[in-house]
Amino acid sequence: MRSQRADGEDVAVDPVEIGGLTRAAAGGDAAAWLGLVECFSGLVWSVTRRYRLAAADAADVFQTTWLRLAEHIGRIENPEYVGAWLATTARRESLRAARAATRILPTDDAAILDRNHIDDHSPELAVLDAEQAVLDSDRAARLWCAFHQLSRRCQELLSVLMASPPPNYLDVAAALDMPVGSIGPTRARCLQRLREKLMSQDVVWHSPGNE
Amino acid sequence: MHDEPDDTELEEELRRVAALLDPVPSVLLQAAVEAFTWRTVDEDLAELVLDSLVDHEAALVRGSQDRRLLCFHTSDVCIEIAVTSTGTSRALVGQLIPPQPASVEIRHRTGLVTLESDTLGRFSASSLRAGPISLRCRPGPQAAGRAVVTDWVSI
Repeated sequence: MRSQRADGEDVAVDPVEIGGLTRAAAGGDAAAWLGLVECFSGLVWSVTRRYRLAAADAADVFQTTWLRLAEHIGRIENPEYVGAWLATTARRESLRAARAATRILPTDDAAILDRNHIDDHSPELAVLDAEQAVLDSDRAARLWCAFHQLSRRCQELLSVLMASPPPNYLDVAAALDMPVGSIGPTRARCLQRLREKLMSQDVVWHSPGNE
Repeated sequence: MHDEPDDTELEEELRRVAALLDPVPSVLLQAAVEAFTWRTVDEDLAELVLDSLVDHEAALVRGSQDRRLLCFHTSDVCIEIAVTSTGTSRALVGQLIPPQPASVEIRHRTGLVTLESDTLGRFSASSLRAGPISLRCRPGPQAAGRAVVTDWVSI
């Protein structure tokens, strides 16, 4: 079983180190907790995004997941795999939120509108904001657009795989409730599809101000 | 035109784009950091064992469309709550089993609501904002029993 990605220099999730952080946080070490947040907030966020929840619901799931961990941290059986624990918790809480969303009618409550604001950055604006950045914004926009044209299954897998820092396959398996062994082949297929979408110039992108 | 990148490069590029276009909102990162301050040390943890929202049988038997039932338990005590929703406002009624008086703290993101149950362990609260909550109960006369905290759950 793979517990660590073998494919890059950006591998940040080392089970032994994670086990140490988890034990230290369980003992009250706030710096270790911060380390866990840095390692896994990207993963937890990617799981909540997978369920396409409203922004306020995604925020609640994200917070609930971390609050749960704060209460459970001294009781986790395998501290090395706290990432898988977080991914599983986030997945279950996302399902719960998705279920609740079908029951509770949206309202025009100002608090909801206000909370939705955190999600209020369009790809267009973000790309413009990033013009100073090293990233090639046009290429980024086309890639993002192509990504959203992939099948739901591919988007789900890739969105978890592309969390920052990169999650290990065990955590990805927990996030998606899929066998570890099928991640590699599905990833290869999905990346191939993405490449095809990029190549076929049917990705329509109007960059404001550039035309 | 770029050369066809290999899978690792393409995935890394996606990672950079996602970090730019869909980053974890900073308010949520802050919330994750602050979650640690809610950690308790000496309390028994009452785990969520039933939620009518996702446990279909429980929903059929005991729930209704308007009321969500949640049950938490430790080996000694069970805490049941029923939650009703109005927009983003939540009201709950709760009960300790076995019935016994308790002081109850409702922990939520904007702070604490403290209340006392009646002699049979029943309590209620209203006008709570939607979001994650956890209960901290100290059962027994004069709240002399061992404190219990429930799992966090978003209501």
